Amino acid sequence: MARRLTAWFDYALALAVLLAAWWFATGPMAMPGYLLPSPQRTWNALAGITVTGELWLHLGFTLQNIVLGLILGCVAGIALAFLMTRFPKLAIWLDGPLVILQTAPKIALAPLFIVWFGFGILSKIILIFSLVFFPVFIGAAAGFRALDPKMKDLASLLGLSNIQRFRQIELPSAMPEIFVGLKIGAVQALVGAVLAEWMSGKFGLGYLMTYAGATYKTPLLFAAVLLTVALGLLMHVVLTVLENRLLSWKGVQR
Amino acid sequence: MAQSERIIDIAGVHKTFAADHGTVTALEPVSITIKAGEFISIVGPSGCGKSTLLRLISGLDQATGGKITLDTAGRRRPVGFVFQEPVLLPWKTILENVRFPLDTAGVSRAEADKTALDLIKMVGLAGFEKALPRQLSGGMRQRAAIARSLSDDPPILLMDEPFSAVDLLTRDTLNDELLRIWQSTGKTILLVTHSVDEAAYLADRVMVMTARPGKLKCVHDVDLARPRGEDTKLDPAYHALVAQLRRDLRTSESRVGEAH
Repeated sequence: MARRLTAWFDYALALAVLLAAWWFATGPMAMPGYLLPSPQRTWNALAGITVTGELWLHLGFTLQNIVLGLILGCVAGIALAFLMTRFPKLAIWLDGPLVILQTAPKIALAPLFIVWFGFGILSKIILIFSLVFFPVFIGAAAGFRALDPKMKDLASLLGLSNIQRFRQIELPSAMPEIFVGLKIGAVQALVGAVLAEWMSGKFGLGYLMTYAGATYKTPLLFAAVLLTVALGLLMHVVLTVLENRLLSWKGVQR
Repeated sequence: MAQSERIIDIAGVHKTFAADHGTVTALEPVSITIKAGEFISIVGPSGCGKSTLLRLISGLDQATGGKITLDTAGRRRPVGFVFQEPVLLPWKTILENVRFPLDTAGVSRAEADKTALDLIKMVGLAGFEKALPRQLSGGMRQRAAIARSLSDDPPILLMDEPFSAVDLLTRDTLNDELLRIWQSTGKTILLVTHSVDEAAYLADRVMVMTARPGKLKCVHDVDLARPRGEDTKLDPAYHALVAQLRRDLRTSESRVGEAH
């Protein structure tokens, strides 16, 4: 407990130093406000959109897209990896196309997604999905492949059904590798979400940034950037908590 | 307990594998009848097909020819299997692992818990129900594996070198516990081992197998008094049998040596 307190204290101290430096640059150093707005003005911009409700609208939109893209990407990545380990023929067939899709820079495809799937939410979720899918797929495939053959013997001896095999043995034993992919995918998802909003639409933190930038509302731009950073941190914390709960049997200490 | 009922009938069972340069014979035709409640040890060098025989009996592998009949009244899971490694699910507690065969067979939680807790007590793991496998020693994990193999009460227990990964002192203790479990449950046990001492100490009959190609060389009856214990290890008949088993294995080895 004491160690945790010390860690929190260290975090708070680092944050305070950063904030002080920011204040120093805008106050005593007199950096012009359109280049670097003061903490006070950024705070006011943030408070402004909170009062009007815009904050929740944009944050909610981005978060919703990320969560949807993450869930769909995970389910599809795990499902395809599982099918490919179960049916090696499928793996041979899909290997080539998957490598091409995987190495293609998804961000470069973003404009194409807009052309194909429109300016709405669909093109955004597809971009996030494409960014999440591959790391999860690769992690899950490695996890399923690494299954101890003795575990398969155990499943055969107990006459487990396919669903029992998957739920009780294959999925849990692949979980550590799936998490490696998921953590990479989550970072990508945030990048994808913001990028998609830059390019089209009227909602989301990415839209808020382009709007604030185009109208020279630097404090608002700063507020949007800080919100994105906070969102990234939140996702990191949620995933770490989830990992510690799901993988505590491995004895991971963090 | 009816000792005369036969439970496993193995008739001319053999196994060949396809390899790059033709077929490899893993096991030449074996025939033997095993009675319900018997304790059989199978001893032999690596590559003699003893593990193959166990996998054939369990149904994990299919024989190339011959017939294995299990007289187990059509049970869905006629055999319990204890591997060389414990093969516990690392994310489940000891209780959950022991309960696993029951949970996946749809037995009610209350009933499964009762059976599993009794077995955990029997193998000497009381107090470790909530522990994860990684928190236990190798010997304790293997005890849990034995408890799991017994949890859905299979009439036959197949053990493939179950104690080869634990130290000798633990091994002696586990052997005595296995005898106690055998006596209290009346299971038919087939135990594969490298150790002739272990084979003679535990079994009613010892099957001696030889390698390249794997075949059953002979079967010895073990006429040592039950229950066995430290006194058995002082019995001259026990030493005579161990010596005989060693000779059986050595002659087979020198024959392989001549062939080269």
